[in-house]
Amino acid sequence: MATSVTRRAAMRASLVAVAAPAVLRHARGEAPIKIGMPLALTGPAAEIGEQMRHGAEFWAKTVNAKGGLLGRPIELHVEDTTGDPATCVRKAQLVVERDGCHLLFGMVLSSEALAVVPKLAEWNAIFVSSDNGDGRLTGSSFVPNFFRANISGPMETRVISLWLRRGEMKNFYAIGMDYAWGHNSIDVFKDEVAKAKKNFVGAVFSPIGTKDFSTYITKIRQAGADACFIVMQGADNNAFLSQAREYRLADKVQLVTSIVDLNSIHAVGDAALGLAGSTRYVFTIDNLANKAFVEAWRKEYGTEPDVFEGEQWQACQILQAGIEKAQSTDTDKLRAALETAAVDSIKGKAAIRACDHQAVQGGYMVKVVKKEGFKTPIPEIIAAYPGDEITPACRQMTFES
Amino acid sequence: MDFAAFLVTQCLNALSQAALLFFLGVGLTLIFGIMRIVNFAHGAFFMLGAYVGYSSVAIAGNFWAALVLSPLLVGGFGIAFELGVLRLLYRRDHSAFLMVTFGLTLIMGEAIRLIWGVNALEVRAPPALSGIVFILDEPFPLYRLFLAAAGIVVAVAIWQFLERTRLGLLIRATSQNAEMVHALGTDVRLVRSAVFGIGCGLAGIGGVLAAPLVTASLAMAPTAVIDTFVIVIIGGMGSFLGSALGALLVAFVQVFGTYYFPDLALALMYLVMVMVLVIRPGGLLGKEA
Repeated sequence: MATSVTRRAAMRASLVAVAAPAVLRHARGEAPIKIGMPLALTGPAAEIGEQMRHGAEFWAKTVNAKGGLLGRPIELHVEDTTGDPATCVRKAQLVVERDGCHLLFGMVLSSEALAVVPKLAEWNAIFVSSDNGDGRLTGSSFVPNFFRANISGPMETRVISLWLRRGEMKNFYAIGMDYAWGHNSIDVFKDEVAKAKKNFVGAVFSPIGTKDFSTYITKIRQAGADACFIVMQGADNNAFLSQAREYRLADKVQLVTSIVDLNSIHAVGDAALGLAGSTRYVFTIDNLANKAFVEAWRKEYGTEPDVFEGEQWQACQILQAGIEKAQSTDTDKLRAALETAAVDSIKGKAAIRACDHQAVQGGYMVKVVKKEGFKTPIPEIIAAYPGDEITPACRQMTFES
Repeated sequence: MDFAAFLVTQCLNALSQAALLFFLGVGLTLIFGIMRIVNFAHGAFFMLGAYVGYSSVAIAGNFWAALVLSPLLVGGFGIAFELGVLRLLYRRDHSAFLMVTFGLTLIMGEAIRLIWGVNALEVRAPPALSGIVFILDEPFPLYRLFLAAAGIVVAVAIWQFLERTRLGLLIRATSQNAEMVHALGTDVRLVRSAVFGIGCGLAGIGGVLAAPLVTASLAMAPTAVIDTFVIVIIGGMGSFLGSALGALLVAFVQVFGTYYFPDLALALMYLVMVMVLVIRPGGLLGKEA
């Protein structure tokens, strides 16, 4: 499972994806479709960057094996941004100006995407996001050359909120990492709890990099809530879940998280059991497109596709649909085509709407369970919500009710 | 949860936390006492301990094997580094050590990324210790009790080692006056290698023991090295008892402080450090600067 990430490996991999198979030989001379992909491949967001790279590479390989798109091979230009917005803008500019990419994927962090979008018009480039959650990208910071193929942060939270309205839990507590994301998410959650006419009994924030959560777990136990909403990621999330298991916290309190992904389940193993949360993509989604995708993915990588691998694949499908519809990669033609692009993809129907370029799509609530045939626990879908119920009104980040 | 149960479980939490901090702090302070160098790579050795622990569990299928193998391998690597690199630098300025050990942190971080990958890895506590016991009707993890006990056992063992064995005597003598020990016919260079290895090995044990609580991840090194410095500065650079005292103080302040003042969680440890330094600039048990 260990995959190494170095800048050089990243560069090499981008060339591997380009290596044209025999079928493509007739297409020699056709200009490749160049896609720039500035990604955080080192630093704290590297896990996600790595997944997005896998997703895009797998798509490029699949398309190239079939003779390319419009008869042109896909060429990915991957650059490492380290997760820093300034570096990200520089690397994006590099792939645009040096490599001549007018299509962009990547930008792992929303802060990176927010730094890049104001430049898109000047670069005459279209950016199709596969993971940026910040509501502002299709709201106050919207630009015409930006498209969001993935579920946004407000949509994710909406899924949880709809789910808890239905449930029997009454009192909610929350723990979040002590920075903007943690505070924002818990504010939104608090608001949703109030709308659902239930009680929010309190919240606590742990500094980034906290290793001992025993005191926080004591506080959660004492709060006497039915459920605890968790806004954590990376090492902090893993440490919290491992220790919550030590204290058998889940016996008393339903743990609900904003993110369920395979990486953290693999990292904490059985400690993830019983965890409920919304997910952007999960390999257990039951439809033909997803089954075929998971099968092909297993063959290629020997494992199940994770959240951002699936999300990236869907973003690739949407871009592909746009290019096929426009029969061109010219920025103006492609923008017009993408505005009405719709795919029946691995998550079901996903359709871009013209007013804010958000892909309207369904949302899933999952619970982590043990399943026959899997070494580690897996997320099982416990509720699904159609796109029109979870997508906010055009250019909005919140919901009326 | 009544107050008595709260108090007892929080104290036990603090003790288990202190044990982990002690494994880090005591190694750093021993190394500083003998070599007068600050080992910036201490956090990286701690992290290496966790990853070696992960592989030992994967290969030997047993946490106890990891607990033995990890300190040996990490300590061995420490000795090799001392022999191969640090030994060439003793005549140089102190800043050379900072640069080299800091560089080692970066190299080890990248090497671990290449060998084990970017994803965090699960290290499970042994089945015998993954249960809970009820203390005044409150569930408490056995593993945390084990940590607290391990901290006490290792602390007593190191103390006895320093007081009762010949190598312990040499270590104490070298930390007081290396030239005299050398003049009396002992190869001080060997003592240095041994101490560097022991210090790194202790960080390795800490890494294995911490892994079931935090998973083995690349995020371990940077935070660990800062905590370790704070403990050693509070206890007094080079003082064995000081590192134990520093670990206890920081753990108790952290556990109770976070409970009553969660907004100050990040600052508490540093507030203690500042207060100690104002009252005793050399640390609680350190030589006055």
